[in-house]
Amino acid sequence: MDRIPSLHRRTQALSKTPLLRGTILSFTTIHNPPKGFGSDAYTVALIEKEDGTKVMAQMTPESAPPAIGAIVAPRMRKIRTMENGLFINDLKYEVVVPVATPLFTVRTYVLALTGPSGVGKTTISKALLSMFSSVVEQVPMVTTRKLKSAHTEPHIVVSETKFQAMIESGEIVAHSTLTDSGQYSAGYRRKDIDLIWQKKKLPVVTTDIHLLEGLAKSLGRRTILSCGLLPPGTSHRRMLSALLHRLRSREDSELQIAEQIKNAKSHLEALDSHAHLFDHMLVNESVDHCVETIRGIIE
Amino acid sequence: MLQPVYVLGGGQTKFGELWDFSLADLIRSAVDGAIAATKILPTDIDAVVIGNMLGGETAEQAHLGTFCSSLLPHHPPALRVEAACASGGIAIHTACALLESNRAETVLVIGAEKLTDVAGELVTSALMHAADAEKDGPSGLTFPGIFALTATAYMHKYNLSRDDLSLVSALSHKAAVKNPYAQFRKEIPAASISRSPLVADPLRLLDCSPITDGAAALILSTKHESGVRLAASQIGTEALSLTDRASITSFTSTKTAFANALSEAGWKRNDIDAIELHDCFSIASLIHLEDMGFAPEGEAIQLYKQGDTDIDGACPINTSGGLKACGHPIGATGVKQVLDCFKQLTKQAPNQVQNAKRVLAHNLGGVGATCTIHLLESI
Repeated sequence: MDRIPSLHRRTQALSKTPLLRGTILSFTTIHNPPKGFGSDAYTVALIEKEDGTKVMAQMTPESAPPAIGAIVAPRMRKIRTMENGLFINDLKYEVVVPVATPLFTVRTYVLALTGPSGVGKTTISKALLSMFSSVVEQVPMVTTRKLKSAHTEPHIVVSETKFQAMIESGEIVAHSTLTDSGQYSAGYRRKDIDLIWQKKKLPVVTTDIHLLEGLAKSLGRRTILSCGLLPPGTSHRRMLSALLHRLRSREDSELQIAEQIKNAKSHLEALDSHAHLFDHMLVNESVDHCVETIRGIIE
Repeated sequence: MLQPVYVLGGGQTKFGELWDFSLADLIRSAVDGAIAATKILPTDIDAVVIGNMLGGETAEQAHLGTFCSSLLPHHPPALRVEAACASGGIAIHTACALLESNRAETVLVIGAEKLTDVAGELVTSALMHAADAEKDGPSGLTFPGIFALTATAYMHKYNLSRDDLSLVSALSHKAAVKNPYAQFRKEIPAASISRSPLVADPLRLLDCSPITDGAAALILSTKHESGVRLAASQIGTEALSLTDRASITSFTSTKTAFANALSEAGWKRNDIDAIELHDCFSIASLIHLEDMGFAPEGEAIQLYKQGDTDIDGACPINTSGGLKACGHPIGATGVKQVLDCFKQLTKQAPNQVQNAKRVLAHNLGGVGATCTIHLLESI
């Protein structure tokens, strides 16, 4: 039954409503309209307006398809017909800014960046994360000590005994002993990787050769999009010299640097001997160039 | 509870499209059933509470309290209460208030609804009265549409798949095969549910509880004892309109009512042996289980996948067939759920849970705007 006074009150209220844009929080298409709303299906959305208030409203029939997160703007349109044949107008909304489609779509891979310390793994993964935050996410590392770069690299600190227990239970899929600032254990959990896949994102891990081997074994080699990172230089000696240069600028102690260079040497050799573990070898001459190449690879 | 409230027993009509019966017929039949089952004298009843939502709109009958009282020879005091789909639950809660305060010693609680006398589009409009008339109604939203909004948001947030969602309705349909009072006594595989017609995207016909006629009645008493007592009766509420909520994938009303009920009964969540859950729409079941803490947010579907919700699982759900397969005569549902809990504790259930001692009835009004929780235990 049409209630004229109630319709009148609504019309008055609408005339005082500021016409604000909003964001779609949820939406549905009504296939069985109630009395007065005709028989064609229409879409109703829950919209959060710019002033923070929320409103339930129909989408205009000509609107682009709705999606959670799309920006919409109000339009005054006919919403239903009264029993006496008069039309009722109300605010409907239409999509003005659709949800940004991701820059590229991602299959269920893990992107692994492998290389000696100082080669720029962290810098490159950070650049990737900041540029494509909607599609890539860093897998938190499980470690037995707090990382120096704790504020930038997500990681979970556990005791050595807990770490061993997690390896035995199979929770940790790959682990290794890292030496970049004293010896400690580090690994990745299956659960963290699954979680990122569930979000339909590409997990990124930074690894040494042992972690990479572990991941290839537990997740399957074909699941890993593996990029080896090399410092610039035409020979191992020149590469090591480039690394030395970078490590010095990090303000590590000489003792640590000596240790890392020693590791880097065996690492560079491993890159050669474990070539089957790599899909791409990148020389990190400039971060931008490297990131652009990786983007090309992911696409 | 301030004093022990015993459930003496109850009765119900078959649930379904009962064109041959009026609202009055349904109520009469349920009351007769309840009195016969409990073997008390009608004159022992000293108050009547009826839960009903749409008596006026769909059956042209208001003033239902007195109508029910007139069925008894001595015309005891009577009242009708309403909280949309939680009308039944709220009727039991009201009866408890009368009993605990010594206003009455034996109360007849009825839930009844007659929906199929009017056209479908009228029922669709009338059911929207459960939502906010000024904020939700004018957009042309329907009641399944409201739950579809929660479903869209939930599926987006937790990446729930269509085929997984279908497991919820499949479970209720399987249980109802053995329930003689159920509207649909047919097993329906999840794949067919995923293919049923869209009602309000993403919800399909077989995600939704049906339009049903039916009535149920219970007799509660502080004077006459029985083997089953109510351990808790609680109500929770929250903003009526989804536009006034912080989250649409969780209902505060359930959280509040459930926490208060556990503390009233002195139970822990693990004590509960079976649940009658308000599965008005498939998505709602998942939200309720998370709100009551049986699963972390976004993971309730795992309970269905792992078989925890089966009759022999850790947390059997809707062994009666739930709202989905038994049918959902709005005001009757909350009373019928407690009746099913009573049957579970007295070994009369169509699907008996082994050694069930403590059971839960969860009844919801609107899109979680009202929730009633009743805990029953055998003694």
